[in-house]
Amino acid sequence: MTPAQAAEPDQGGPEFSDRLKALRLQEYGLAAVVVLLFIAGSILKPETFPTWDNVRNMLTQASVIGVLAIGMTFVIATAGIDLSVGSMVAAAGVFGGILIGTDGTSSLVFILGAIAFATLLGVVNATAVAYARIVPFIATLAMFSIARGVALLLNDKLPVSLLDLNGGSFGDPRPFSLLWFGNGRIFGIPASVYVFVAITIAGWIVLNRTRYGRYVVAVGGNREAARIAGVPVRRIIFSVYVLSGLLAGVATVLLCARLGSASPVSGNLYELDAIGAVVIGGTSLAGGRATIVGTFLGVLTFALIFSLMTQLNLSTEVQQVTKGLIVLGAVLLQRSESRY
Amino acid sequence: MSRKRFIISIVAASLLAIGTAACSVGDSEEVTRTVTVSDTTAGGTSSGRTVTIIASVPPTDHGWLGAISKDAKAAADQHDDVDFELLQAADADSQAQQIEQAIAQKPDVLVVLPQDGAALTPVAQKAERAGIPVVNIDRLFTAPDAATATVLGDNYQIGVLAANYIGDQLKCNGNVVEIQGLAGISVTTDRTKGFTDTLKKKCPGGGVRIVASQPGDFNPDKGLTVMENILQAQSDIDAVYTHDDDMAQGVVQAIRNANRDDDMFLTGVGGSQDAMKQIEEGGLYRATFLYNPNMAGTAVNMARLIALGQGFSELVPPEVPRQVVVPAAVVTQDNVSEYEKYAFN
Repeated sequence: MTPAQAAEPDQGGPEFSDRLKALRLQEYGLAAVVVLLFIAGSILKPETFPTWDNVRNMLTQASVIGVLAIGMTFVIATAGIDLSVGSMVAAAGVFGGILIGTDGTSSLVFILGAIAFATLLGVVNATAVAYARIVPFIATLAMFSIARGVALLLNDKLPVSLLDLNGGSFGDPRPFSLLWFGNGRIFGIPASVYVFVAITIAGWIVLNRTRYGRYVVAVGGNREAARIAGVPVRRIIFSVYVLSGLLAGVATVLLCARLGSASPVSGNLYELDAIGAVVIGGTSLAGGRATIVGTFLGVLTFALIFSLMTQLNLSTEVQQVTKGLIVLGAVLLQRSESRY
Repeated sequence: MSRKRFIISIVAASLLAIGTAACSVGDSEEVTRTVTVSDTTAGGTSSGRTVTIIASVPPTDHGWLGAISKDAKAAADQHDDVDFELLQAADADSQAQQIEQAIAQKPDVLVVLPQDGAALTPVAQKAERAGIPVVNIDRLFTAPDAATATVLGDNYQIGVLAANYIGDQLKCNGNVVEIQGLAGISVTTDRTKGFTDTLKKKCPGGGVRIVASQPGDFNPDKGLTVMENILQAQSDIDAVYTHDDDMAQGVVQAIRNANRDDDMFLTGVGGSQDAMKQIEEGGLYRATFLYNPNMAGTAVNMARLIALGQGFSELVPPEVPRQVVVPAAVVTQDNVSEYEKYAFN
């Protein structure tokens, strides 16, 4: 008996196939929401919404939350949570910024520095949760506060300009320089979208096609059963928080590349959008059930809502109510479909 | 037994000490009251009595708020008789708690820049009722008995100046985008209202149209994403009125990324170094409306005068006014060199 089988006692029974079907339907349900939102946008703003340029814009905007949400899917799959990703984005950006210094021009130093720093913060989360056994909510809530404080401390509360990180070219930034990740394109598709899609595909393969992915879901489904079956529970839990930190570093690169600066106040409450996208995607907050496709669609849903409401120039209060209603509607739609 | 006695004697001793201290405070108050009559000048740096001032401000993670804190400290340092403490709160709730604790410390005056004026009004009223005068900076309390004096920038006037500037530049003909601050606070509402009211008066024909008006939460990354979407929706934009220089940096980047910086110009509010540098260079960033952080220094000076029972010597009779409005100014390429000294990081 392999550990994964033990961890999912339902496997093989009719209940399991029902669950699998429910999961698929949930993904289809959300895909319908995405399509409906796109159609709504095309009707309400026929000239500016269904354009290739706007699709490109929405995908670029989605890529930052998207990368965070893929990491969050793994964390939530283990029945954990990571409330610190937005703060980590700010801290990693400012860290990378001071690493290159005032007249530095090395994009690589910034990129590796930001990713390394976010990963380090992820390791702190991971140690707190997996080894110090602090509940994930509290451990990452502490990091939410610590990382924001660190972001402000590192450069005396000031943003760092990154406009020189263009690979030495003052027109279009050179490929693989920092600014290129914000503005560069290959075959008309923005560089950041490639990064987001590549990480989504990698995430799907790891979660669905590797032993590691099965372990992650098994730990979230029934930790005790997973342990008895020989899953290295502690190491798995440790790894997902490190992964979340690492991907927060990647999100930092994508955000700072577009912003042309690293701001200590950036990334404010990004964790809520990331968690929201994961959960409306169908991953269970209780753990043991995770879907990367659902997360991807959840991220697109949020990007579509934001783009559409800004294009319609709705007032803030109307936007907030509408966004909440659409999220509720999306979840309800999936639930009623998954009953069949 | 002996232990109990020991505790009792400590309590008695401390009560005695407190009593003495209270008496001495009372005495010195009498002294300063007499001093008040003879010395009413505002510029005096020492009065022979120590004044304790506690200032409470929101997190200084924002350029302008950072400048406010620095300015308050600098003003306090100028007076030998001021014992100054600055408290920074993370949010409205913790600021309320901090002020509660500050009231317990019984300072002579509290200086408060509230995170949220309405939310912190009750605790300010509590301080006033406890006999501690409150000087309110910038974001207004919602009850008149919550503050003894108020120092504020003129957010409405900032909107007025912006409308006049943009109206002139566009010769009352063009499309304007407004990127607002945080929704639901008076600063944002006033900056918007001053702008829209004045635009109607200045360009009565309706030649200047506000084609989009969205909040950027005073946050550069929110400013960036909101502007990216507006650029998608609006193919013809002539000017962008943003509510804040820091946030405007994100808006600027969105416009540059879209290669549309030649089609429009942008204005900010606040007077940050970055904004002033870009105004000097010329191009997209055309103007900023200065919202002077020196108002915190004014507030500390007023707090000291209130504690000493003195007033502004220019007023007859010398008093501390209920409200001081610090004027706003237009900073453009023509006059930026005069204003650079006010720039903050």
